[in-house]
Amino acid sequence: MMTEKEIYDIPQEKFRFINLDDTLHDEKFSGEALGFFKDAWVRLRRNRVAILAMSMILFIVFMSIFAPMFSGYGYNDQNLNRLNMPPRVPGLEKIGIFDGSKTVNSVRKTSLSDPEKFPEGSVIEILREYTIKDVEMVDVKVNAYIYEGIGDEYFLMGTDYLGRDLWTRLWRGARISLIIAIVAVSANIFIGVVYGAVAGYYGGTTDIIMMRITEIIAAFPQVIVATLLILVLGTGIEAIILALVINGWIGTAKLVRGQFLRFKEREYVLAARTLGVPDKKLIFRHILPNSIGPVITRAMISVPNAIFSESFLAFIGLGLQAPEPSIGVLLSDAQKVLLTYPTQTLFPAILISVLLISFNLFGNGLRDAFDPTMRGTD
Amino acid sequence: MKKYMIGRVIAACVALFLILTIAFMVVRLMPGSVYDDPNLAPEVVAMLEQQAHLDEPLLVQYAYFLKGVIFENDWGVSAKVEPGVPAFDILKRQIPYSLTINVGSLALALPIGIVAGTVAALHKNKAGDHVVSILVVLGISIPSFVFASCLQYFIAYKMGWFPIIFEPSKGTGMQIYSLMLPTIALSLSPIATIARYLRGELIEVLGSEFMVLARTKGLTQRQATIRHSFRNASLPLVNIVIPMFAHVLAGSMVIERIFSIPGVGGTLISSINTNDYSLAVATLIFYALISVLTSFVIDIVLGLIDPRVRLGGSSK
Repeated sequence: MMTEKEIYDIPQEKFRFINLDDTLHDEKFSGEALGFFKDAWVRLRRNRVAILAMSMILFIVFMSIFAPMFSGYGYNDQNLNRLNMPPRVPGLEKIGIFDGSKTVNSVRKTSLSDPEKFPEGSVIEILREYTIKDVEMVDVKVNAYIYEGIGDEYFLMGTDYLGRDLWTRLWRGARISLIIAIVAVSANIFIGVVYGAVAGYYGGTTDIIMMRITEIIAAFPQVIVATLLILVLGTGIEAIILALVINGWIGTAKLVRGQFLRFKEREYVLAARTLGVPDKKLIFRHILPNSIGPVITRAMISVPNAIFSESFLAFIGLGLQAPEPSIGVLLSDAQKVLLTYPTQTLFPAILISVLLISFNLFGNGLRDAFDPTMRGTD
Repeated sequence: MKKYMIGRVIAACVALFLILTIAFMVVRLMPGSVYDDPNLAPEVVAMLEQQAHLDEPLLVQYAYFLKGVIFENDWGVSAKVEPGVPAFDILKRQIPYSLTINVGSLALALPIGIVAGTVAALHKNKAGDHVVSILVVLGISIPSFVFASCLQYFIAYKMGWFPIIFEPSKGTGMQIYSLMLPTIALSLSPIATIARYLRGELIEVLGSEFMVLARTKGLTQRQATIRHSFRNASLPLVNIVIPMFAHVLAGSMVIERIFSIPGVGGTLISSINTNDYSLAVATLIFYALISVLTSFVIDIVLGLIDPRVRLGGSSK
């Protein structure tokens, strides 16, 4: 028998390697290990719908940054000579779509030959001829650009009731709607993650108190909170963002708290704590990454909600201060003239629909990519 | 159960009281006075303000307000929107219109959503499912006011099948007829939500073992679905249908504006824009009341359905 001292004092030479010449029967890992995001990306790439949605979002973001710069018109260039112009698109006008035409009703037939009223080349088609009290009247389709004497301009989406170029305003509006949505969602996610993490990690009384607070805040209906807040702060970007944040973070907080309750009792957390890892590091380095997938997915799904809420507020008269456009402001203005100038509603409506659909589809794709077990449950 | 219900009632009352207080304070602290008309003599303004207790300290005003609301059902008198008419009467006149389109849209959404969801679940990953999925994405993504504009332009204006805006004067039948388009516009998002939710639930239930048992004991797929899986799948629907009510009510503010319906939403907007304090507070409280009531109903219903909720299972 060796004494304890002898065990510690075994000289170096007495050690020798064994098994050095044996063959290992383990299989070698083939291929490289995939990280969390890479793994998700591989799965996302296979989802054609999600990729299409992502391209659509990127396209809209790109256009909202650059289109206003290169349109040649300012978003607030008012011009009373060109009110409510119809859209006119080079190329498409040759086949009769968006050719800048509008209908002028009830004019005397004789006035058609008067170049003062109808400049040369402005009349495209006579739609209807009739007589009222022996006067020959006509409804004519005219090229509004020649008719109004604007000439060789192209307003791709027409102009609004103050003669502002709607193409420029639409993309600038998209930019502002996106900024509002992204800032609001980032703030929501940040507050929600920290709040939920603390509540979930510490549990007990802390958790109960923190969750009671969220319950009280959640009891306030969002529309009411937003209305009151904007009444107090005025209709600026900040007020709208704050209105979206004030009870928007609660969902994220609950989600993150749930994840923490699930993971904080796991063995690896216990192991890390035994090794003396401080709370802060345990929370953010070891447990939080588990919820990164659901949180990103939630952020993606919240963006369309924020865009919707912003438009909604604009519709009930709590939108941005004029002349700044947002998609909601544009839709709300256009609604007033829907029956006379439907194209003014058409373009913002298409843009907001495409944007929201894309974000929802991309969010679904992300969720499937992060958590394949959720696939198909929708 | 009794203890749980009492707790919920107290919570709902506290929430309502808080909302009442905050709404009152915020609306009163807003810049501008109801009576800032330059044509009014200062003495008249002072008299009017005295009548409405506006010259007293805020806390005293609040006490007057609470006393009126709780004991006399007095919500104040509208000063600008409809001068001299009690706010309560204005709301009482308008609530039916708002409720009609809201309840109507949910009544429309439930059967359609349930059928669509069931079809999708039974034909999982086949054509029927794909069609429903596309419609669901459209219904959930596209805002109700875009739908409303489309319906108003194409169905009402171009086709002429429905009145373009609300027709108040031509009798009840015409009123209901002109409320149909807004109801449809409002119902699309609930339809999509219900269909999506039910599809998920049904697929889960259809794959469970008691369904295999039901089939083994000789039921056809149809019988088994209707008798066994359907009931299981529709219980959680309560969870999403009741909150939908508050949601739809908020959404209807915009729809009411688009179709010129004299509902509560329009009043809220105009009372805010004209500094009509009493009316604004009354309208806000109406919305808050609905919202608090719905969450109260959800709590109670869930407590009835699922014992874990009322026993206060703290962790999920």
